Amino acid sequence: MRLASSQRIAITGLGMVSALGVGARPGFARLCAGESGLRPLTLFDSSALQGHLAAEVRDLPSMPADFDRTDFLAWLAAREALSEAKWAPSAPGLGLALGGTTAGMFETENELEGAGASAALGRARRLLTHPLSSVERRLSATLGPFACAVSVCSACSSGAAAIVLGAHWLASGKAQAVLAGGADGLCRMTFAGFSALGLVDPEPCRPFDVRRRGLTLGEGAGFLLLELESSARERAAPVLGWLSGWALGAEAHHVTQPEASGTRAARLMLEAIERAGLGIDDIDYVNAHGTGTPANDAMEAAALSRVFGVRGDGVRISSSKAQLGHTLGAAGAIEAVITSLSLEAGAAPPSLGLEQPEVSALRYVGSRAEACPLRAALSNSFGFGGLDAVLLFEAPSAARRRLPAARQGSLVVSSAALVGPRLAVGRACLDELTGVPTAPPLAPDPFESLDAGRSRRFDRATGLATQAAEAALVAARLPAAEVGLVLGSAYGAVERSLRFLDRLIQRGLRAALPAEFPHLVASAAAGNLSLYLGVTGPALAVSASGLSAEASLATAAALVELGLCGSALAGAIEAHDSVVQSLAPAFLSAEAAPRSEGGGFIVVERDAVAAARGLRPLARIVAVEEHRSGLRPQSLALGPPLDESRALLVLAQGADAILARLGASPWTRVRRQRVLEHRGYFEAVGLHAIALGALLVAEGVPDLLVLTAEADVLFAVRLSAIESP
Amino acid sequence: MLAALKDEIKQLLVSELDLRSKQPADIDEAAPLFGAGLGLDSLDALQLAMLVEERFGVTVPEGDAGREAFASVNALAAFVMRAREG
Repeated sequence: MRLASSQRIAITGLGMVSALGVGARPGFARLCAGESGLRPLTLFDSSALQGHLAAEVRDLPSMPADFDRTDFLAWLAAREALSEAKWAPSAPGLGLALGGTTAGMFETENELEGAGASAALGRARRLLTHPLSSVERRLSATLGPFACAVSVCSACSSGAAAIVLGAHWLASGKAQAVLAGGADGLCRMTFAGFSALGLVDPEPCRPFDVRRRGLTLGEGAGFLLLELESSARERAAPVLGWLSGWALGAEAHHVTQPEASGTRAARLMLEAIERAGLGIDDIDYVNAHGTGTPANDAMEAAALSRVFGVRGDGVRISSSKAQLGHTLGAAGAIEAVITSLSLEAGAAPPSLGLEQPEVSALRYVGSRAEACPLRAALSNSFGFGGLDAVLLFEAPSAARRRLPAARQGSLVVSSAALVGPRLAVGRACLDELTGVPTAPPLAPDPFESLDAGRSRRFDRATGLATQAAEAALVAARLPAAEVGLVLGSAYGAVERSLRFLDRLIQRGLRAALPAEFPHLVASAAAGNLSLYLGVTGPALAVSASGLSAEASLATAAALVELGLCGSALAGAIEAHDSVVQSLAPAFLSAEAAPRSEGGGFIVVERDAVAAARGLRPLARIVAVEEHRSGLRPQSLALGPPLDESRALLVLAQGADAILARLGASPWTRVRRQRVLEHRGYFEAVGLHAIALGALLVAEGVPDLLVLTAEADVLFAVRLSAIESP
Repeated sequence: MLAALKDEIKQLLVSELDLRSKQPADIDEAAPLFGAGLGLDSLDALQLAMLVEERFGVTVPEGDAGREAFASVNALAAFVMRAREG
C-alpha cells in the first residue's frame, strides 16, 4: 500500500448550513457583515438552564419525514457542495468522509420523552437505530452510492479529522473525489451536558475576550468537495482553493481540560505548515477554534503565541463561534468552509464582540471583517480528550511548488491482542480461534490489569479495549507516545447514554451529570485510551456498524500512510451492554451465531518503523479494500491467490453472502477458516478475523484473504508473508 | 445523626463517582476528597455539588466556601448539617 499521488488537493465545491442560513456563500456574507445567529433556543425547552441561547438553524426547508435533523443538515450541505462542483449525481469514484458526535440524538430524546417509563427498552431502540454511522447511511442512500465511506469522531475536531481522511483517499487513489465534512444537530444531551460542566456563557459567547465565560452551542453542517488537481482540471471544475496541509494529534492531558501551555496545539500548527511546504510567514489568517471557554481560549492563545509570536506583523486571528456557535462535530468542517471562503474573498471574518482581548500581543480581527489579500490560512479544532486537528488552506491563486515527499514503504501488522473469553496475545489467540468451538462466555473483569485511579470512569468497553491496546503495544515492543490510535465501535456507550438521558427526561436538563457527559461522545473511549496510555499521535473513533473493525484498520492505515504517525493501534470493541443485549435479537445482525462480546487491537506500521526496533512483524498488509454495491474489477485484494494449495480464506460475518458474491473466484477453492463459530457474533468480530489472519501468516500461510460483509458493503484485507531478511 | 450523614455521604461518593475499587468503609473521613486523598478531580467537584444539592437540598457555593465544604467527608457533613439548620 503506497500513496499513489503527491498532487495538490483542490477544493471544487463548498456547502454549509448554519444559524446564518442555508448556503455557504450567503452564510459567509452574513458572517462578514457581523450578523449573529445566536438567539434563544426554540428546538426544545431549556428554561431550566441558565444559558438558553443557541445558534439554531431556523427556516429550514421542509424535511423528509424519515430524516433526522442531523441527517437533513448534512444532506443540505453535501448536496450544495456536489452541485457547486458540478459532480454528476452517482458518478463513480466519490467517497464520503463524515465527522459528527450525536447524529440523531434529538429525535431519540423526543421519543424517550414521549413514551412512558413502562416501555423503557422499547424507547431505547432508537439509540441503536441512530448510531454515529446513521448519517452516513442516510447520505449513502440519498446521494450515493459512494466508493467508500466512513463516520469518524474525535469530539469537537471530528469535521476536520474527516477532511484529513478524505485527503488520504485522494492521495491513495481510493476515491477520485471526496465529500468531506461534518454535521451535528442541537440536542438536549449536549446542551445540558456542557451546561453541567459550567462551560456555557449565559450571554452570547465572546471568544478571546477577557469577559468570556463559556461557549454558546450551535448546529449545522459543512462539506468540501475535494479532488486531485488533475481530476479538477479534467472535469474543468473551477478550483475554489487548496487543501495543502493538515495535522492530527492528541494532548494526552485531560478529558475536558486543555493542556494549558498550548505546546501540543502549537506543534500541530507547525506540522500542518511544514506539510504544506510553507513557513509561518506564509500564513495570513487563522480561523481559531475559539470556543469562548476560559480554558480553551487561554490554551489556544498560548499556542498561537508560540507559533506566530516571533512574527513582528502578527497574523490575523478570529473565531466564528460568536456568530455560529460551537457546532461540535460540524465545527471543524464549517470553519474549513469559512476559511477557504476567506481566502477566496480576501476577507478575514470578524470575532463578534471581541473588544478586550486577553492577549494583546495577538492580532485579533475584532467585530468588523478585514478586507486584505490572504494567501494561506489555518483552521484549528480541538476536542474533548485533547483530540486536536489543524487544517491549512491556500487561495485559488497559490503557486504550485514541490511538496515534501511522502514516506514510502509497505505496511505490516506487528502484533495482535484480543479480548474475548479472556485477554490473549499473539499465538495464544490462535488456540482460541482455531480449536474446538465452545460457547463463547463473556470476557473477564474488564479492569483487572488496569490502574484503578486512571481507569475510574471507564465503562466495560473502554476497560476491555485498554487492556488489549496495552498488550498489543507491549507485544510490538512499542512505546505509546506518538503512535496513532483508532477505535471502531458500532453503537458506543448505549447503556450509559440511556442512563444519562433518563435523568434528563425525568428530572429536567439541570440534572445532567457533569462527570458522565464527556464519556458519552462517540470518541470518549478513544480519548480515554489515549489519556490512559499517553498516546499523543492522532486518536479517532470510527463507526461502521458490523464493519467497525475493518473501518478502523483502514483508518489506522490511512494515518500511517499520511505520515501522521509511524505506527498506529487499530482496534475495535463491542462489549456486553444490557440495552444492546436485550434489543439485539429483535433487529440487529441477521447472524445465526450466538451474541457475545469482544474486541482487540493490532499494531499497524511501516515496515521500516518495525525494522528499526528489530521486530519481525506478523504479516505484510497487501491491501485493505472496501467494496460497496458490487465488487470492484481491478481489486488488488481480490486478485487470484499466488498458490491455491497454500492460500487461506478467513471469513467473519456475512460468510455465506460473501461466498455467493465471489462467484467463480479461485478464492472459493482455497482452504477456509471461519471465526464466528469460535467467537459468536459481536460487531467488532472482524478484528478477530484480521488478527487471526495475521497470526496464521506468521505461522507459515504465505497468502491470505480476510473477508467480512454487512448489507451491501464488503471489506477485503489481503495479507502476505514477511519475506525472510 | 452526624455519623449517619457521614455514612450517607460516603455511600454517595462510592456509588455516584465511580470509585469502583473502594467500599464506603474504606474512606477516611478526615482525608482530603480532592487531589492526594481520595483522588477526586474538578469534574467530580461539579458532580458532587449537584448530587449534594439533589440529595440534601443544600447548595454548595463556588469559591473558597465551596472548597472548605469539600475538604473532607467530615467537612462536608458539617457543612450539610449547618446549611440544613441555618
